[in-house]
Amino acid sequence: MSAEYTCLVVEDSPMMRQLLVFALSRVKNLKVTEADDGVDGLRKLAGAKFDLILTDINMPIMDGLKLVKRVRSDPMHKDTPIIIITTEGSTEDRQRALQLGANAYITKPIQAPQVIAKVKELLKIVG
Amino acid sequence: MSSKKASAATKHRKAAAKKPARPASPPARPRSVRPPPKPAESNPYAVEWQKVEAVQSVFRKSAQLAEDLLHETERLRDNLRKLERENAAMRTQLASDEAMRDLLKKIKQLETEKSTLLSHMHEAEAASTRYSSRYSEMEEELAKLANVYIASYQLHSTLRLPQVVAHLKELLQQLVGARSYGIYWSDATRKSLVLFASENLDARKHGKLTLGGDDPVDPVVERAFLTGVPAIAEGKLDVFGEAQPAAVVPMHFDERVVGVIVVYSVFEQKSHFVSVDFELFKMLGAHAASALAGALLYAAPGAKLPGPEAFRNLGLPARDAT
Repeated sequence: MSAEYTCLVVEDSPMMRQLLVFALSRVKNLKVTEADDGVDGLRKLAGAKFDLILTDINMPIMDGLKLVKRVRSDPMHKDTPIIIITTEGSTEDRQRALQLGANAYITKPIQAPQVIAKVKELLKIVG
Repeated sequence: MSSKKASAATKHRKAAAKKPARPASPPARPRSVRPPPKPAESNPYAVEWQKVEAVQSVFRKSAQLAEDLLHETERLRDNLRKLERENAAMRTQLASDEAMRDLLKKIKQLETEKSTLLSHMHEAEAASTRYSSRYSEMEEELAKLANVYIASYQLHSTLRLPQVVAHLKELLQQLVGARSYGIYWSDATRKSLVLFASENLDARKHGKLTLGGDDPVDPVVERAFLTGVPAIAEGKLDVFGEAQPAAVVPMHFDERVVGVIVVYSVFEQKSHFVSVDFELFKMLGAHAASALAGALLYAAPGAKLPGPEAFRNLGLPARDAT
């Protein structure tokens, strides 16, 4: 069965990335592409259109907030939903990410059902 | 009642036909003005006159009777029509009653079906709730297993010490949510624990924990190391810090404790340790020491991954070794 939705996961921690990929594998018809950091994420975004982006904030080379700014200034992806997944749980961090254009903010450690629910909500997947 | 009258009229007619007409008594008054008849002895026509009078009386009565019969017939016809109408109305009513009975029967049947369907629906709803609940439990369990699997997979994915340590730290930060923590290794005398990896911790203060003294630096850490039993907080975690750790996990290797992982505090968004954290701590207690020991041996000068001859040198049969 071909994937209906595509998702880009930008996360420098292999452990966390593996965990996110596992969680997203529970969403039907969702194809996941992985990126090691912000720059790798931009590279992947240049080559394809994604329905959803999940990104960490603290990453080497280019952090998640810079990536969000770049994505929002790109006409091709300016409306793509973005979920921030980070250990930074303060209200200021959350507000800053949302002001930059992120659509949702999830703090680590993640709960797979919570991530799945948010992804489904943003992709408007019922059931 | 009208049939009785009709029967009486019939009898009357028959009687009139059989019996000779009796003279009217008193005789009806003559219509024409004639001289009153004289007694039979005095008037020879008197007898004839009386006979005529009697016949006339019979005719009048017959005419009256015929008229009565006509009226009666008309009245009976009216009654018949009325009865026919009533009969038709009753037939309609009967049909209507039957239709009503059928409808009531149908309603009862439908109500029974509705009740059965409702019962099935409730059963289905209960089953759906059970399945949904079970599905959530399974998803939760699956997520827990995935956490443990991924943590274990990453921990044993390399023998390079810096990477093993990095994976351990990543696991504690990203999967458990530890904000400040230290990973200690016991010295050869088992009298002290030496800090070799930490995050957000004052290394000067926590660099070395002396054990077995009269006044231990941290009795919780000491007890966990000496007994091999982890000490993990089950309540709210915001009260813990460097003075009182939230979790102490002894690291086992070959059935002895060789070090401890001490989580002093967690990220503010984490209020409690949840079941997956306990599973991760259990996994760390069993696997972290062996991963670190392997990495330490591999990090020794001149260490390299041995070839298959190493298995033979250990006395293992060749077929098992290869």
